[in-house]
Amino acid sequence: MNLDALFNPNSVAIIGASRDPEKIGHVLLKNFIEGGFRGQIYPINPKCTEILDLKCYASVKNIKDDVDLAVISIPAKLVPEALKECGEKGVKGAIVISGGFSEVGNVELENQLKEICLKYNITCLGPNCMGVINPLTRVDSVFIPTYKMGRPKLGAVSFISQSGAIGGAVLDLMARQGFGMSKFVSYGNAALLDETDLLRYMADDGRTKIIVLYIEGVKRGREFFEALKEVTRRKPVVVLKGGKTSGGAAATKSHTGTLAGNAAVYQAVFKQCKAVEAMNIDEIFSFSKLFESQPFCSGDRVGIITNGGGLAVVATDSVEENGLKLAELSDGSRKCISEKVPPYVNVKNPLDLSGDAGADRFEVAVHAMLDDPNVDAILVGVLFQTESIDSRVLSILVEASNLKKKPILVACPGGEYAEVHSRILENCGVPTYTSSTYAIKSLRKLVDYSKFINK
Amino acid sequence: MKYADAISLIKKYDISFVEGSIVRSVDDALKVAKYPVVLKVVSDEIIHKSDQGCVKLNVKDEDSLRKAYSEILSNAGKARVDGVLVQSMAKPGSELIVGGRRDEQFGPVILFGLGGIFVEVFKDFSLRVCPIDREDAMEMITELKAYPLFKGVRGRKPVDIEAIADVLQKVSKLLYENEQINEMDINPVIAYEKGYCAVDVRVLP
Repeated sequence: MNLDALFNPNSVAIIGASRDPEKIGHVLLKNFIEGGFRGQIYPINPKCTEILDLKCYASVKNIKDDVDLAVISIPAKLVPEALKECGEKGVKGAIVISGGFSEVGNVELENQLKEICLKYNITCLGPNCMGVINPLTRVDSVFIPTYKMGRPKLGAVSFISQSGAIGGAVLDLMARQGFGMSKFVSYGNAALLDETDLLRYMADDGRTKIIVLYIEGVKRGREFFEALKEVTRRKPVVVLKGGKTSGGAAATKSHTGTLAGNAAVYQAVFKQCKAVEAMNIDEIFSFSKLFESQPFCSGDRVGIITNGGGLAVVATDSVEENGLKLAELSDGSRKCISEKVPPYVNVKNPLDLSGDAGADRFEVAVHAMLDDPNVDAILVGVLFQTESIDSRVLSILVEASNLKKKPILVACPGGEYAEVHSRILENCGVPTYTSSTYAIKSLRKLVDYSKFINK
Repeated sequence: MKYADAISLIKKYDISFVEGSIVRSVDDALKVAKYPVVLKVVSDEIIHKSDQGCVKLNVKDEDSLRKAYSEILSNAGKARVDGVLVQSMAKPGSELIVGGRRDEQFGPVILFGLGGIFVEVFKDFSLRVCPIDREDAMEMITELKAYPLFKGVRGRKPVDIEAIADVLQKVSKLLYENEQINEMDINPVIAYEKGYCAVDVRVLP
C-alpha cells in the first residue's frame, strides 16, 4: 500500500471531469485548479477535448507522463473499467468518489473494484467517499465548492472520518475557527483502505501531531484495537463514535451480555487504548485545540487566575467536578504576586485579581504560576466586560502560552467584544473557551493523557 | 456448557471456587454435606435458579437437607435436571461479578462490577478487551464508582484488591484462550479482606 500516492501525488487524473458546473466532476477539477494543486492535472472525459482550459483526455492511458493519483467520479458500473485502465497505466492511487456499491447492496460491484485494485496494486480509497484534503500539497478531492465549505489552513491535526457529512461539517467549522489541519480523509465504504490503515499512516506522518477520528463502526476490530493502542503511545488520538444508541442489542442471557453492549465495548476500547473520547463535535474541538497547542502537564494541580470572583467560583467547581485539584500556591509565588498587586487582592488560589485588574496584574500572576512548582496547569478567566481590560491582555497571554512551560487555557465568556478577542487568542495558538467548564473538562483529558505518556 | 464442565474450566485457570460436588440422590447429598451447605439444582434449562426456587442457602442439618432437596427439585418442575450441587456455605463478604462476552468486532471482553444492585441498577461496571494486564485490571477496579467501598468505609471491611486484580487477569486469560465461550458470568465472586471465592458460574457457548 502506498498511501503517499493519495496524499502527496505529483500528478492527478480527474476521471469524470465535466464542463457542466453542476456536476461533481466539474467541482473536483475546479477545486484542484483553484486550490493550487502542486502538480500536473489531467481531466479525463472521452466527450471533451478541453475543460477549464486544460487538455482533456479520453482515457488515462492516453497520458504520456506518469500519473500518481486518479480521482474517480463516474457512474458506479463504469468504475471497474476505469480502474483497470488506471492499473494498465500504472496509476498508484485512486480515490473513488462514486457511490452505488455495497452501501446500496451492490456488493458484487465492490468486490470487482477490490479485485482490480489488488491485481494492479492500486491504493484505493472509497468508494462512496469524499477522499482527501492535504493543505500542503493542495490535494482536494472534496467535491464541495469552497464558497459552501471552507478549507482549513495548514496545521498539525489530521482528521479521519468515516462519514462524509460529519467530515464536511467539521472541516467547515475548522476553517471558520482558524484551526490548522495536516490532512483530512473520508474513507466511505472502506473496500480496501479502512480506519486502521489510515490511523497507522497518520501515526507515521511527521506533519501530524494529533489524530481526530470519527467512526460509526470498524471493519477489523482486533486490528483496530491493536493499532489504536500503539498509536496513542506516539500521539494523542481524539475519537468520536457515532451511533451509540443503535444496534448491538443482540439477545443475551447473561448479566454480562446485557450490560456489555456494543457501545459499551467501544468505550472500553477507547479507555483501554488511552484514546481521548469526545462525546460530540464540540468536544472534538475543545480537546484537539488544547492537545495541539499546549505541552503535556506534570500533574493535576490547577491554578486559576481571573478578574472576577464569580468566574473563579465556577472554575473551582469545574476543577473539583472533573477530579482535578486546586493548586496550593508556594510561598515564593504568593510573595512575588503580593509585592506587585494592590493590598486588597487576596493572594491565594483561585486568584481573583479584582474587577479593576488590567493586563499588568495578569502578567504578574501568570508568570508567578508558571514558575510555581505547585502548579501544573493554569486557567485564566478573562472578563472582557470590565473597564480596565482591553486588547493589551492578549499579548501577555500569547507570550506566556508560547513559552510552552505548562498548559495555559483561557476562558472568555461574553459577547462580541469577548469573542473578537477570543478569536485572536485562538489564532495565536492559545486554547480559548467560552466557559471554564469546557476548558476544565478538556484539561482533565490532557492531564489523563499526560499521566499515561509520562509513565 | 454443563455446570460441572464450567466449574472444572474455571478451576483449570486456578480461580478459587467454593468447595462442592454434584450428586444425583439425597443419600449422596447427605454423604458429602459439611454443614452448613447450599443446595442448587443443576440444569441447563433453568437460567435464574434463585428466582425459580432452585437454590436453598444455609442448610444446617440432615433433616433440613432432605426437605430442601425435594423442595428445590419440585420447583425445577419439568426442566431436565443433571443433579444437585452441594456446596459449602461461603463466608459473607463483598459480592462481585466477573463476566465475559465475545464481541463480534473485538473478540472476548471482560466485565467487572460490584454485585447486586450496583451493577444492575446503577450500571456501575467496567469493561476491557481481553487479554488484560495488571494495570488494566487495576484500572477496572479503581474506575468503579463503588471503588471507595473496596477500601473500607463506615465499618465495612476493605477487600483484597490484589486478589481481585489477580482473578480478573485469570478470567481474561480464560476468555481469551477459550473461543467457544460466548457469554460467561462468575456471579457472585465473594471478596474478603484476604482472598476471594467464586460461588457460582455460568458459561454459554
